[in-house]
Amino acid sequence: MAHPTRIEPSILHKLAKHLPENGSARWTNVRQKSMQQLNSTQFPHKKIEEWRFTDLRPISRTEFTHINDAGTYKASDIEKYFIPESDRSRLVFINGRYNETYSSIGGLGKGVTVGNLSRFPDDENVLEYLNNLVNYDDVFTLFNGLMFEDGAYIHLKEGAKAEAPIQVLNLYTGSEKPFIANPRMLVVAEEDSDVTIIEDHIGLEENSYMTIPVSEVKVKQRAHIHHVRIQRDNENAFHISRPIAYVEKNSEYHSYTITLGAKLTRNEPRVVQEDEEVDFTLDGLVLIDGEQVADTHSVMDHRFSHANSHQLHKVVVNGKAHSIFNGKIFVRRDAQKIDSFQENRNLLLSYDGLVNAKPQLEIFADDVLCSHGATVGQLDPEEVFYLQSRGMTEEKAKEVLTYAFALETIENVKVDSVHKLLIDEVYRYTKANSNPKVTA
Amino acid sequence: MLEIKNLHVEVEGEGTEILKGVNLTINKGEIHAIMGPNGSGKSTLAKIVAGHPEYEVTKGDIIYNGESILELDPDERSHAGLFLAFQYPVEVPGVTNNTLLRESYNTIAASRGREELDPLEFDDYIREKLELVDMKADFLERSVNTGFSGGEKKRNEIFQMAVLEPALALLDETDSGLDIDALRIVADGINKLHHEENSVVLITHYQRLLNYIIPDHVHVMIGGKVVKSGGKELALELEEKGYDWLESLATVNGEAK
Repeated sequence: MAHPTRIEPSILHKLAKHLPENGSARWTNVRQKSMQQLNSTQFPHKKIEEWRFTDLRPISRTEFTHINDAGTYKASDIEKYFIPESDRSRLVFINGRYNETYSSIGGLGKGVTVGNLSRFPDDENVLEYLNNLVNYDDVFTLFNGLMFEDGAYIHLKEGAKAEAPIQVLNLYTGSEKPFIANPRMLVVAEEDSDVTIIEDHIGLEENSYMTIPVSEVKVKQRAHIHHVRIQRDNENAFHISRPIAYVEKNSEYHSYTITLGAKLTRNEPRVVQEDEEVDFTLDGLVLIDGEQVADTHSVMDHRFSHANSHQLHKVVVNGKAHSIFNGKIFVRRDAQKIDSFQENRNLLLSYDGLVNAKPQLEIFADDVLCSHGATVGQLDPEEVFYLQSRGMTEEKAKEVLTYAFALETIENVKVDSVHKLLIDEVYRYTKANSNPKVTA
Repeated sequence: MLEIKNLHVEVEGEGTEILKGVNLTINKGEIHAIMGPNGSGKSTLAKIVAGHPEYEVTKGDIIYNGESILELDPDERSHAGLFLAFQYPVEVPGVTNNTLLRESYNTIAASRGREELDPLEFDDYIREKLELVDMKADFLERSVNTGFSGGEKKRNEIFQMAVLEPALALLDETDSGLDIDALRIVADGINKLHHEENSVVLITHYQRLLNYIIPDHVHVMIGGKVVKSGGKELALELEEKGYDWLESLATVNGEAK
């Protein structure tokens, strides 16, 4: 395969010389296509509207090394990240590579196939959907298409109900040098099937790395998917994620993304409606501090009539952290009777925090109900006083109010241990941030 | 128990004087009613006693059990036994009544040297108190005031008072927005909670509440001052004559209203 010639910046170009050799003819095809597009794709910068608020120079200035040369450490003591409900339905990827030792599959009942993509080179769904559902055309997605080495594959036959939630655990190890991981996931839920997926990204050490998870989800007629995405990368990591879901007639897709880690996050969840009578959720909770940057650019694309969609995106910012939200809601011309809710609420705990909020509604149908709102505020002094007058210290009152603010977005997570884990994470954040730091 | 001496108060940073020399003494076991037209400073007085940070005391003092409380934070005042029932109780989504009250009860208990209660003990304790304000147990698991009707919010304030057992309770227009049945429930609750060791200050526009709770003293505030004090019959007189006949008292000594 010819090497790409114009990938920017040069570091990606250099890495692209190490093309993975594994996979089927289909994979080779994906790589070739990605490379072709990469050659004519610009590396994003702040003059492009979509990247106006997010500075990518920390990425373009990092000397990433191919993972084989990065001096990665062994992953140890990782059992604590296993959720008990997924004791026999767990896929573990370390730096984007499948780990059979830690994975445990087979507890999902009839009609559910779970495994790593490279085990299914000629599976008809892989052939049909892999890389065909992504509609992103940016450098990062294309780079993943060029460099991915494996991924999670989840398939549910018609009428199959997964007996346990599936945990897709993405771990990133320590390393001598910065590296890039390219995790992938393909989920195909046939008619009337039902599955819960817990996707978790965890940085094990404090090293710099970049992960570019790309996931493709196909929800066929009357199927249900509950998708929880937890991002716990370390504070020197870059996390650029591209999850997209297609929803068919009478199907439901509910996704909850919790962003806690990474120095820089760019999350671009999308849901595309493929027929009438669908119900989908794209909720998010972002808790950031220090110099973290967390950017969510989402798309909810209503293409047919009768859809219910819901997006509650809540953000707590402390220190000098920076949150960006751009929520696009498209309602196409013939998509009548749409009921779409979008709300972006930002809580600023510090003087130096920054929030950019940009709801974006493009509605071409006339019989629709679209509510949207964006607020940026501090804790209400009246609420703080109320709790203080009931005996709580100011610090405790602020902690309770921040906790309560954040909690709303995770109460629909229906796997008990994950719900509890998220409550603990929220608690840990509010505890650590109840005394806003005044930075000079 | 509480002595307010020549209290002058401004809105923090604005320089508008709201209280212009309030004097008031409340003894243990007494019920006081403070009445007055809108904007007379009644609610401000209640908030300032509870320690609201929006206001600044420019002159005078508030003495509680022999010591000035001006330097105390709102939580410290609550620990000392003060309680304010809010005119507009605040909604706190995500925090249940039960959680808030257990937290409050135990913090106050710890600071007053009482025994803290574990969740089971607290559950028994709190259920008795529910009956006082005629509320169902599922009320405990609802987020504080969230989605409550106006009447439920007011009853919740009295319920909190019942649980926290303050030595001095200031009830800021707890009667407003209540229908006649709810008013009776709230008034009954307050009467049951009052005894010779604690004091209650009712802030109200209307004489109506005082049909149910008989005050020992009635004060009228106009223009940031207490212009007249008397017994329970003063409330009836106000009901009959309105506040106009007292307006002139607010400008005694040539001071502005």
